[in-house]
Amino acid sequence: MGLISNGTTIFDNGSMASGFSDDLKFISKATASASLSVDITSGIDSTYKEYIFMFNNIHPSNDDITFHFQANASGGSGFNETITSTQFRATHGEDGSSASLDYLTGADQAQGTSYQLLAGSVGSDNDQGVSGYLHIFNPADTTFVKHFFGAFQSIAHSNRCNYQQVAGYFNTTSALDEFSFKFSSGTVDSGDIILFGVS
Amino acid sequence: MPRFKLVDGVSIQLTADEETARDAEEAAYAAGAFDRAIAGVREKRDMLIKETDYLALSDNTLSTEMTTYRQNLRDITNGVTTVAQVNSITWPTKP
Repeated sequence: MGLISNGTTIFDNGSMASGFSDDLKFISKATASASLSVDITSGIDSTYKEYIFMFNNIHPSNDDITFHFQANASGGSGFNETITSTQFRATHGEDGSSASLDYLTGADQAQGTSYQLLAGSVGSDNDQGVSGYLHIFNPADTTFVKHFFGAFQSIAHSNRCNYQQVAGYFNTTSALDEFSFKFSSGTVDSGDIILFGVS
Repeated sequence: MPRFKLVDGVSIQLTADEETARDAEEAAYAAGAFDRAIAGVREKRDMLIKETDYLALSDNTLSTEMTTYRQNLRDITNGVTTVAQVNSITWPTKP
């Protein structure tokens, strides 16, 4: 069975025409289970100029905590690279109250080396947690800084829907090949972090 | 109870140094509990006040009930110094 659109073959007997489906490469999937952190220390190199982390139902053990990340430069020690970042949030309560769009002054960094906040005030009930994605650009580059941006939907401990957009850069010309994700307290109770490369 | 980190899909027990560092992180986070809680109260208070700001424009006269409501919101953090007090705050009802 095939699919032809406007004279162009898209599928032909199960095979896909070139230029389709092959650009997003699965690299790894980490499934947390009471994990203090989820560290990705392999598969990030010069193979791709863009990497995407997908976060699927990341659930914390503790209530009212932040989900955040950091990187480690190749050959370096510790997740403590220099970050300048910015962040804003749209929020709305389950009770319909207090919808707003705000810049989050407490979630940005100016040449900081702390873990970068991705989602704040996350709740630990079963109807709470975090999902989202994070793009890292050209982490293996040794000439320029490394840009990142991401978007996270979380449900706060106060039963609010928080949509947070984060962006920034690692202000280093060293290659980054290790990334760490964790909550500010407790563990990542469950959830998947899936890594893709963009060819 | 030992803690574990997940590295490339493999669960690895924290070293003694990592346990110490994590304890310090969690202690620092716990120490900021009141600051985070009261910030949340101020955030909600500000949003609730903003919702009724249009009623306080110069070409409108605020009702006594609305004036009281907005003042109660402004006073919501008075005397609140602990997380327990934050958690027991009773928010005024919008008239």
